[in-house]
Amino acid sequence: MTRDTWQRLKSDRYGMSGFIVVTIFAIVALCVWAGLLGQGWSEVSGNRFESASARHWFGTNLLGQDILQRTLFGTATAFEVGLMVTVCSTLLGTILGGLAGWYSHGWLDEIILWLKGVLDSIPFYLFAAAVAFALQGSPWAMHLAMIITFWTTTARIIRGEVMRIKQREFIDAARAIGLPGILIVFRHVIPNTFHILLVQSTIVFVAAINTEVILSFLGLGIKNGVSWGLMLAESSQEVLAGHFGNFVAASTSLFLLLMGFNLLADALQDALETRGELN
Amino acid sequence: MSAPALRVNDLSVWFETGTGRVPVVDHISFNINAGDATGLVGESGCGKTMTAMAILGLLPATGVGVSCTGIEINGKDIHTLDGSRRRAVLGRDIAMIFQQPATALDPVFKIGQQISAVYRRHTNVNRQHARQAMLDALQSVGFKQAEDIAAAYPHQLSGGMRQLAMIAMATVCKPAVIIADEPTTALDSSTRELILHQLNRLQTLHQTAILFISHDLAVVRKSCRNVMVMYCGRLLEKTDCQSLFAHARHPYSAGLLSCIPQISDKRPAPISSIPGQIPAATDLPTGCHFAPRCNRVEDQCRTSIPQLDHENGGGAACFRPL
Repeated sequence: MTRDTWQRLKSDRYGMSGFIVVTIFAIVALCVWAGLLGQGWSEVSGNRFESASARHWFGTNLLGQDILQRTLFGTATAFEVGLMVTVCSTLLGTILGGLAGWYSHGWLDEIILWLKGVLDSIPFYLFAAAVAFALQGSPWAMHLAMIITFWTTTARIIRGEVMRIKQREFIDAARAIGLPGILIVFRHVIPNTFHILLVQSTIVFVAAINTEVILSFLGLGIKNGVSWGLMLAESSQEVLAGHFGNFVAASTSLFLLLMGFNLLADALQDALETRGELN
Repeated sequence: MSAPALRVNDLSVWFETGTGRVPVVDHISFNINAGDATGLVGESGCGKTMTAMAILGLLPATGVGVSCTGIEINGKDIHTLDGSRRRAVLGRDIAMIFQQPATALDPVFKIGQQISAVYRRHTNVNRQHARQAMLDALQSVGFKQAEDIAAAYPHQLSGGMRQLAMIAMATVCKPAVIIADEPTTALDSSTRELILHQLNRLQTLHQTAILFISHDLAVVRKSCRNVMVMYCGRLLEKTDCQSLFAHARHPYSAGLLSCIPQISDKRPAPISSIPGQIPAATDLPTGCHFAPRCNRVEDQCRTSIPQLDHENGGGAACFRPL
């Protein structure tokens, strides 16, 4: 079953190029975490605004820091934010959406829907700023703001899917062998939503990286480290003075990674969709 | 004499609606002995599946009412059991085989995993033992390559194989009672023979009591010793298969039998049908539910309800039996 999905994914050229791009970025991120790449991101290693050379491939910034090093480190930051937000918000969304769908129109469903409605009605950037202030500038404020707001979409999708799946006969069959409701949700209902969760989490991943850039640009994001968003924020001054190194490096990396992820998500959706029809 | 494997006493099920109670199963009682199969036949919507769901206690908690003076398995009342104790009985002492093998298996797990999970839920054994029990169950329904079937996902099997896998799943704990809800309706006729054969073999082997729900009298004749005819939530006739087919006593049963087309040398007679229509559950006639369609109806049928003679094995619930 998973092998079939992989076969279909492999025959999709756009999907595969997306997969390769994402894999390369992921390897870079792993190397940064392992301490092999991008460790000199905060060092002043040259003069200010050096242009590209053998020593500084992408040149240097206002402070004389190497832009390549900062771009590589920014990749790790992007993956760290993306992974953390995706894992936490998907887990939260799956559990709450699953419970809401299973006990649909009951009190638990009402509470979860009410919570979702409240969170969805707050303007996101205002909310991120509020969380950042409330946590006194904690480096996790941005992650938290995203997790708290991103789970609602996943929960809405999963809730609908669970309400559909619980009508199916194998759920009756699970009850007929004496499985209690809560176990049926997690053993038989949620596993049947994995194809949707996989696609949804790639979408969340992209949104998290995107949002990180915007929040960092606004000064609500990354505190200890460097990210593509911070590089873009720096470049807003530099571009006026005619230095494009930071701007081009950060926006190109962002574009490539997001493009890769979107192609992959699209191809995944197609590959998994066919499976759904077979069943 | 020992207690029957399944005893259902005075079971009623109704829907709660805005305008009052709508009866779907109306005071039915029956016993099935170990090693016996009893057919429950009737038209769609007469309450067959509701009876099965009520016996298992799987009806939704809201909107549906159930009253009953006892549902016993081997003399043990399961109707009064609460949540977790009832769940311990389901799958172990009583199991169900569903109509649609295509949808009654979880599409994301392998057949073997699903059968082992049932076994492990009801026994305290390790993975190896559960796996062995699972393979035995698959072999006992006639799979020669049990390992291959265990490693397959439901969509990789044909309809008949899936239904055999369902039977393996239902029998893995060797329950005393199996409820088979139209197990062959979704299958073609040659597969049907195979399923019935395996079901009957296991029934004799494990001395299981089977409640065989069907709308197909021919299937019931082939696989059951006794038969109950249900109409609008009531049992109209309860007898053994032989006497029903030789001499149906209730006009409705006789009408059903005459609807089976006969193959003969003579010029085919027109296919007969029972005149009139099934009354709506919200608007049932007082007295005998079949009275408006019956050609032997008299005044008494319209005012009072005929009863089965439970002491003498049932017979027909009719004031003017054939």
